[in-house]
Amino acid sequence: MAVTTLVAPTSARARAAVGWARKAPFALFWLLVAAILLLPILLFLLVAFSPRLFDQGPRWFSLSGFQGAFQGPMLRGILDTLLVGVVTALASAAVGFAVAWVVHRTRVPGRRLWSGSMFALLLVPSYLIALGWERLLEPSGVLDLLHVPDSFARSLLFGPVGVIGVLTVKGIPFAYLAISAGLRGLGEEFEAAVRVHGGGRPAATRTVLALLAPAIWSSLAIVFAESISDFGVASTLANDAHFPIATFELYDAVYNFPVQFPIAAAVGWILLAMAVLALVAQNAALRGRSYRVLGGRTRPARRRELSLRATIGVFVGLLVLFLLSLGVPTFGAISASLMTGLGTLEGGASFSFANYGRALTSPSLYQPLLYSALLATITATVTVLLGLVVARLLTTRRGRVSARTLDLLLITAVALPGIVFAAGYIFTYNLPLINNLGIHLYETTTLLVLGYIATALPPASRVLFGSVGQVQESLREAARVHGSNAPASWLRVMLPLLARPLLAAWSLTFGATLLELPVSQLLYPPNDPTVSVGIENALSKYDYAGGTAMEVVAVLAALTVIGLVWGIFQLAAPAGWRRLGRTS
Amino acid sequence: MNSLDDRGGHRVSLVGAGKRYGAVRALAGVDLEVEAGRFLVLLGPSGSGKTTLVRALAGIERLDEGELRIGDRLVSGPRTHVPPEQRDLAMVFQDYALWPHLTAFGNVGYALRRRKLAADQAKARSLEALERVGLVGLAERYPHELSGGQQQRVALARAIVAQPGLLLFDEPLSNLDTDLRERLRVEIATLTRQCGATAVYITHDQAEAFALADVIGVLDQGQLVQLADPETLYLKPATPFVARFTGLSGELSGIVVGPDQEDFFVIEVGQWRVRARSASTLKAGDAVRVLIRPAATALVDSEADSAVETSVGSSVGTVSGTVIDVAYRGRGYDHVIACGDRHLASVFSARPWARGTQVKLSLDPTGCLAFPLNDSAEISYDGEVTAVMAGSEPAATNRGVTE
Repeated sequence: MAVTTLVAPTSARARAAVGWARKAPFALFWLLVAAILLLPILLFLLVAFSPRLFDQGPRWFSLSGFQGAFQGPMLRGILDTLLVGVVTALASAAVGFAVAWVVHRTRVPGRRLWSGSMFALLLVPSYLIALGWERLLEPSGVLDLLHVPDSFARSLLFGPVGVIGVLTVKGIPFAYLAISAGLRGLGEEFEAAVRVHGGGRPAATRTVLALLAPAIWSSLAIVFAESISDFGVASTLANDAHFPIATFELYDAVYNFPVQFPIAAAVGWILLAMAVLALVAQNAALRGRSYRVLGGRTRPARRRELSLRATIGVFVGLLVLFLLSLGVPTFGAISASLMTGLGTLEGGASFSFANYGRALTSPSLYQPLLYSALLATITATVTVLLGLVVARLLTTRRGRVSARTLDLLLITAVALPGIVFAAGYIFTYNLPLINNLGIHLYETTTLLVLGYIATALPPASRVLFGSVGQVQESLREAARVHGSNAPASWLRVMLPLLARPLLAAWSLTFGATLLELPVSQLLYPPNDPTVSVGIENALSKYDYAGGTAMEVVAVLAALTVIGLVWGIFQLAAPAGWRRLGRTS
Repeated sequence: MNSLDDRGGHRVSLVGAGKRYGAVRALAGVDLEVEAGRFLVLLGPSGSGKTTLVRALAGIERLDEGELRIGDRLVSGPRTHVPPEQRDLAMVFQDYALWPHLTAFGNVGYALRRRKLAADQAKARSLEALERVGLVGLAERYPHELSGGQQQRVALARAIVAQPGLLLFDEPLSNLDTDLRERLRVEIATLTRQCGATAVYITHDQAEAFALADVIGVLDQGQLVQLADPETLYLKPATPFVARFTGLSGELSGIVVGPDQEDFFVIEVGQWRVRARSASTLKAGDAVRVLIRPAATALVDSEADSAVETSVGSSVGTVSGTVIDVAYRGRGYDHVIACGDRHLASVFSARPWARGTQVKLSLDPTGCLAFPLNDSAEISYDGEVTAVMAGSEPAATNRGVTE
């Protein structure tokens, strides 16, 4: 019987033991958080100031890392990153606002498709978009082989315009989601109030823009932070275009000889500072004003009927955006994967499935996919379980120091570029001190999985946080009171209630991990490349068609696994589980 | 006899129960005993500790101090905490806490798992419980497909289906409209008594408490300030707090003139004299407040003389005032009367008295309660106000002032 009754004589010791037993899982959790989130980042960032502490230089305190970061190609990379970040943020916010407005406030046809394409765009890794465009426009690329003149478009793509363009495309869904949330909460009464008090349509629009300031600022901050921390475009398109970006320079400093951890760490600080500055700017812009526009009496805004000409214009505009962001890269990737002679000077194009045959039979192409699929499965499963614990801690211990610390840590981790994470891992788990402790994780699959979990945990726990917070505590208490013990109450009540969000978090983590680039690039064990590294390797060996076929296979594999998981859920889960969270 | 009928309840015994949330002391040494099969209502305002107390009984909260026994078994003590699922109890939650992934039938059947019945027996019992609450036709509906009242009935069926020895109710009617609340109150009273379980019900609604309870415990700031049957609680409240919380027309300040019969005193209130009951030993000249129950007030024609000759020789029992508000209540009219600088509300009359009318108000001494003005501490009618032995026969409960 699970009664916690203790016998008298050894009671003090036994009580202490019970106390420890109760605290042990919590301590273990914090140990894990420290090992995968806190330590690697902290130690890596510390080396920027104290190289000697980690045998990376002669001085205990030095700013030489920062000096190195502010000169030569590093400085160029940082300035380029700043430029890319600012322009991308402005462009994405503008386009995202326009799409959100059109989708939520007008009756333009295909609203579901446009809104769905935003989510699709959110899930596609930036390097896949960049590679799709590259395959189309590179010398001896798809268009060259099809004898389509593309030199002007190529000169644009392989330069700042191309880099900013691809990152803008990747930033649009973030801006769209942030602004959509603001628009949904903004009823029509504010516009109506302007109009009935003599303001015209432009005045009403200005008012709406002012009321949407929090959403606009947050989309600017998010896109800026996402763009400056991007590694996918930096390591593909920007690298091929010889347009240095800070994240790639950081990778270069860590990965290539001579290894310069202090400089890499300094770049890490600078990237982090940029992200923080964006958030500070957002806060400063909104301080002292109230934007509480959503209340119980808010009337939903009506959709505007556009004129025929405007409808056609808007529809074509959205179609072009859809084609540029998803259509062209998809076409580029698929057409390239079906071509032979791509990237060579052979000239003439022939189409065949031979590249797919190779991708599925050549060990160098299919093994990375299997390896990544296995790691993605492990990562997604562990991350979802940990994310559930994190979400539970954040919701039940809200306000306590431990919960606030964890929350802060997760928010910082979200703002931190993946490449800084990976560099932190390489640095920390290669330290002699760690090796002396008997921890030999460097260049192992375990470290790679830990790295994946660390990068996936913050977004996964954010996804679960909302759902876990929504479940009334009384439901679990009712299960306890009516006869279930603690584990059974979780299995019989909480699991069914959280099945959908858990599955959503699993799918997101699986997809993101399968195609993950920065952590894979730095932490993959020798001889065991992941799928993204395999694609990069194939491309670096000018096997463009094989690499692209692998890319397509990997995306299809991700979609198939996710589809299978949801299919099994739909078929096997009890009816009550499936009804939850569904709209009628 | 039906399979859900009386299986007998548990005696509940709580000694020195204490619970803190940081600096806040939610329970401050509560002693309480409820006899098997009795219906105890814990009444108190928000923050009085009643929810904490019922959750501690359920085992959802751990007590920091004190001991709790359910039946003969120690379920909570300094080194003991029996988890909720092993306490043989059931609970109806304020928000119903129906599991949204299970149908009404599934929700009710869940509580039978611990009884380890054969499937057909469990099904029959669940359907019987649903039938009792009039929902057998809606057994396959999910909670969101039921109305608020139906959801609460499912919660009630879930609570009684496994015939627990102790039934806990956490303000189960507070989310319902007045009409439904009254109907469900009757169902709760009937079903609980039919199944024979001991019931502990918490509410902040005094009408609900009086209607349901065999015994009422009033909680204030984590302390049980009075435990008594409803009649005693109403007529002989232990403290001004209990009196206020169980319904007052208003308060008047006065000076004790002298004792009257039994535990009554004559009090001079401004230019008037009234008779009021007090458990304190009052002396002539003591400052007191007179708390007046609505039922003690009656408007009288100014010609009629309702004054009463008392042992001190003065005529007492009537005050005069001005009608400042009148509200139609269906069976008659409630008035607010200004008496000097004080107001008396809920003064009932079958006919309306126009605003501004000068009126006389007769006050029934049994509904006038005098408390020393400077005495904020609890007082006792018989010296054992919170000697909390509830649930035994009325004579054994705290009956207040000498009978």
